[in-house]
Amino acid sequence: MAWNRPLIIVLLAVLLALTWWRLQPEDAEIRRSRLIMGTVVEIMAEGLESSKLETAVDAAFAEIARLDKLLSVYHQDSDVSRLSQSDNGSQVTTETAEVLALGLDVAQRSGGAFDLTLGRLNSLWAISDGARRVPGQKAISAALRGIGPTSLSLDGRLVNKRMPHLQIDLGGIAKGYAVDRAIAVLKQHGITSAAVNAGGDMYLLGQRPQRPWRIGIQHPREKDAVLETVQVSDQAVVTSGDYERFFVQEGIRYHHIFDPQSGFPARDCQSVTIIADSVALGDALATAVFVLGPETGLQLLTQYPRAEGLIVAADGTLHASPGWAHYQVAP
Amino acid sequence: MTCSAVDPVALTRARRQVFLALFIAIAVTLHVLETLLPTPVPWLRLGLANIMTLAALYLYGGRAAWTVSLARVGVGALLLGRLFSPGFWLATAGALLATSAMIIMYRVAGRRLSPIGISAIGAAGHALGQILAARLLVMQHAAIWQIFPLFLFFTVFSGILTGWLAAGLLEQLRQHPAFQSAATGQGARMRPLQLKDPL
Amino acid sequence: MKTPWQVMTGGDWLVVLFLLGVSLTGIIWIATAPAGSRVVVISGEQVRFTAPLGQPRSVVLDGPLGQTRLVIDDQGVRITESSCRQKICVAMGPASHTGDLLACVPNRILVRIDNPDGKEAPYDLLSR
Repeated sequence: MAWNRPLIIVLLAVLLALTWWRLQPEDAEIRRSRLIMGTVVEIMAEGLESSKLETAVDAAFAEIARLDKLLSVYHQDSDVSRLSQSDNGSQVTTETAEVLALGLDVAQRSGGAFDLTLGRLNSLWAISDGARRVPGQKAISAALRGIGPTSLSLDGRLVNKRMPHLQIDLGGIAKGYAVDRAIAVLKQHGITSAAVNAGGDMYLLGQRPQRPWRIGIQHPREKDAVLETVQVSDQAVVTSGDYERFFVQEGIRYHHIFDPQSGFPARDCQSVTIIADSVALGDALATAVFVLGPETGLQLLTQYPRAEGLIVAADGTLHASPGWAHYQVAP
Repeated sequence: MTCSAVDPVALTRARRQVFLALFIAIAVTLHVLETLLPTPVPWLRLGLANIMTLAALYLYGGRAAWTVSLARVGVGALLLGRLFSPGFWLATAGALLATSAMIIMYRVAGRRLSPIGISAIGAAGHALGQILAARLLVMQHAAIWQIFPLFLFFTVFSGILTGWLAAGLLEQLRQHPAFQSAATGQGARMRPLQLKDPL
Repeated sequence: MKTPWQVMTGGDWLVVLFLLGVSLTGIIWIATAPAGSRVVVISGEQVRFTAPLGQPRSVVLDGPLGQTRLVIDDQGVRITESSCRQKICVAMGPASHTGDLLACVPNRILVRIDNPDGKEAPYDLLSR
């Protein structure tokens, strides 16, 4: 048959287009979990083909592990441990300095409610390690000696300790910083939609395929219930609660978020959830607000216009910052 | 030189060129006039210019149909100032699919279909081409397929209309001596398969 | 000139009826979609905004051409104003069935109705 040429060209073009379209590597979605930093870290990523996602996620986990070695109190050689062991202070890496700078800023603005020097206090209570005893007042006072927002000073990469016995504990903001860096690694690999979740402190990059990320907030007293659901994109969600690590003695709950003024667990809140631009900041603010209580905590948040918070007070009432409603998902 | 010394093959070819050019001009005019008419939904036009593409297909074959249809899209876009605009690509995609569909149907079933049937297929191809182009260029979301069934429904009717008008035009043209050779297929390089053709 | 019916052959009728059948099937399929519960606004490739259909509200969306206003009420969701030239989107009327679409193409706003309940978990991750 004498087919005419333009027709054949068009048909070939269509065929080629279909084949090319079919051969395109398909976008995948992966979820990977690992035990790092003493918690389960889960990374979800999607939008590229599987092999690229795997490479990116592996790199992200590697970065978290690297930072863990640098910032954890449980590693003898970490910057933090060396700092704690030194007399006057020491040089730290750029990353440690960044974390310290952020922590010190929140410490100052919160009037010391957030504190980076609670290493001795934490070891004393050892709640994270499962201890269930209330230390004596003398031991607590000794552990609190010299702490405060001015107990550390940072000059470039040189950290100065006001007192030699101060023990540095970066606490949650080290984890938060690691999550932020992991997200940066994923972005470098070209990923635009991902979630990095380190035991409930997370960053949500981009959006899910059809909508923003939806994050449920754990109800502080009902195990299987969700307090609220928020809708976020390119933000961190951090919750600090008195239900994560605690023990009860004689009807009193002792948990792991200490009030630096008293040396005892802070009493004014059941849980605090912060939405912020970085997990490190979110974590520092969550701790500070938890210690400060609903009113003073909300006041602190006004100094961080891009952060919003939801507080469950000790009596169970909810307090939200003005911009919080923007993130709420209508039920 | 007298007319009687003119070579009939050259004459046929010259006639074909002149008439195709005329068809293109008429097609462009029809197209431009159509865009001046108000429509409830944009892009939902009668496609009257397709009458000329059909005429070219029946009188001069598939190649000629391509000539008229592609030239109409190009010149029409130039005149309306829409060259390379999104609408231009939609129209081009529609024209490509429509013309391909019409030519294939003509080859395969030209004996059993009139211009109306061919035109209906062409209209459907036009709709499909536009939706595909819209999906790729305008809305990167599969939801655009929701519009397609309704779109297709209306284009079938406009296809019947243009096919009917084309049939009428062809009937008139074939009566004129200038189109005699064309009508018998001697000027065309393609015609519907006859049962007695060797394969 | 002959009427269309005189021109049309048996083959033509087959073609026409086939095409009409396909399009009608598609139309019925779309029209019988259940009432939707959620409005999703998409711009380009990104989801910009979602809201349930049950709660009346009015929202203004920004696009390359300017603003488009969406109103959700008991009739569904419709576009009430837009900065495009032809205002076809405004004329499209309310949408309330799953799969329904409204669009302001020049301003790159696409509004869909879907029905996410029961198909997905209420949240992707839990913050604790």
